[in-house]
Amino acid sequence: MPLDYRRFNGPEDSVSYKRFTKNYIRNYDEIHKELVNKNGVRKDGRAMDEARSLFARTDMVSQAKGSAYIEMKKTKVICSVFDPRETPHQNEFSQLGQLYCEVKLAPFSCPRQRRPHAPDAEERALSVALRQALEPAVCRHMFPNYQVDIFVLILEHDGSCLSAAINAAGLALADAAVPMYDIITACSVAIIGEHSFLDPSEEEEFVALMSPENTETNHGVITMSTLSELKQVSHFTQIGNLDVECVTNAIQTLEQECSKIVPNIQKVLVSSVTKCFKQKQRLDEEAKEREAELDAKMEEWKKKLKAG
Amino acid sequence: MAVKLLSETEKSFITYGVQDDFRSDGRSNIDYRPMELETDVVSHANGSARLRLANTDVLVGVKTEVDTPSPDNPGAGKIEFFVDCSANATPEFEGRGGEQLANSISNMMQRAYHSSQAFNLKQLCILDGKQCWKLYIDVLILECGGNLCDAVSLAVKAALFNTRIPFVKAALMDGGNVDLQLSDDPYDCKLLDVGSAPLLVTLCKIGEKCVVDPSAEEESCSVISLVVGVTGNPKNYCTPEESAKVAEGKAKCSAISMSGPGSVATKTLKDAINQGIVAAQSLDSALGHALLRERKENVTLKKHSYGFLK
Repeated sequence: MPLDYRRFNGPEDSVSYKRFTKNYIRNYDEIHKELVNKNGVRKDGRAMDEARSLFARTDMVSQAKGSAYIEMKKTKVICSVFDPRETPHQNEFSQLGQLYCEVKLAPFSCPRQRRPHAPDAEERALSVALRQALEPAVCRHMFPNYQVDIFVLILEHDGSCLSAAINAAGLALADAAVPMYDIITACSVAIIGEHSFLDPSEEEEFVALMSPENTETNHGVITMSTLSELKQVSHFTQIGNLDVECVTNAIQTLEQECSKIVPNIQKVLVSSVTKCFKQKQRLDEEAKEREAELDAKMEEWKKKLKAG
Repeated sequence: MAVKLLSETEKSFITYGVQDDFRSDGRSNIDYRPMELETDVVSHANGSARLRLANTDVLVGVKTEVDTPSPDNPGAGKIEFFVDCSANATPEFEGRGGEQLANSISNMMQRAYHSSQAFNLKQLCILDGKQCWKLYIDVLILECGGNLCDAVSLAVKAALFNTRIPFVKAALMDGGNVDLQLSDDPYDCKLLDVGSAPLLVTLCKIGEKCVVDPSAEEESCSVISLVVGVTGNPKNYCTPEESAKVAEGKAKCSAISMSGPGSVATKTLKDAINQGIVAAQSLDSALGHALLRERKENVTLKKHSYGFLK
């Protein structure tokens, strides 16, 4: 990968100072025990099966055709969708429109290390996953040989960033009036042993991906995105090591959780449409008023001319 | 995947056949095509394997190098996958054509090998926090006849089984630096414990049913396929005398992902995962059997080497 020398890339072998703090040297069991207390309450006060509260809005980027901003506590994501344009560098005609997705983690978004400027493997994997998730939801036959650009910027990463990105992209696509079959929502779960953390924070995800000493323990992270009305799964990824029952149970809970998000997204969309409608009405009224004023002035002048 | 041009009639022929559990090459939905496997085919690699699955041809070489472990994981070695789609396979792979496919396969392999329960990186440690082995696993795709993921994962596991890592005779601490002394004898080496290494199984959804080991024609009939990584059973990879000491490994999912532009219902997803695990278990025991036989032939010097002549 060629380095961009115009930017200050920092020394290659620098390490975060946090590595030398007391917190860092703890072993797996200590970190694991800390995630959830005896009453089944997580570090941030949530129950095990409680997702974080979601804030969503549209019209974030004025230049884009459609855009959305999603905030789940400390996970913050912006997504913008641009008008369809002819697919560049393509010789053959393609019957289906293309989706071009790019996920970018801001350099300062991660708690552990600084993100490099050039897209790394994780960002590329996220982009591919996002495209895979969105493709079944969009009516791609409506814009043959064209592509829609979808850009996601993760401002702060505190776990479940792929599901946040998918939720934001679904909302932004709907806001951009790209024809879609259904509203797309996504959710993740982190599993460590018998605990499953719904909508995990970054720390929970990190521990779930670490390998426990005991070779029997289940551990892993699952992300699933669904089209709830059509009862279809558009994307499913799992990392770690889980037995089958664990995966099937997780599919069940994730399906329910994904459908719980739908009404919220619908509410945001309805409010953005009504807002748009009201704005248009107001503009129309203003235009009418102005026209009436001009007409009145014209009459006045005509009278004056006739009089003169 | 490389696209094959098929007419609508050919597609519906394949699709309807799959619904009746009868595929165009005579297999049922859960059958694999015949495979040929040979290990130790590349003389300059520490471990290598070549797998031919009907028309799919994969060559894997493992090279080991000494590296410093990452500060996050001082006691573990490193493993990295590189997939190269040679333009010999199809002209589409020319230039950067095969890059996306190659990336997706190497990504999937990396994720399947992530957990220490699937592949324990601690066995690659030389000196805690100072030195470790790094395995470079280079996969060459020589011919592309569908179902690349499965073929690659099988060949990688075979190559890792065949990998020999030189013994470290002595390590000298000189200030903060480490000087290693390795033995020159090529037979003075240790083998890796790869029993639990995962195998990937691709389940291609055609119509209402899922098939394993899709051919290139079948791949172009389906809009969505599910790739399931399933950990192996170490018992399959050791001789009967050793197997008493080895614990039975339970088949677990080490990675799952979907590829293709379509979507599936949750029930199909669950069924497909179960089907994938069953397929992976039988595949794993067959692979273990073949590898053990080959190793035995190697020891008794009765092995016929075919290389690329077969």
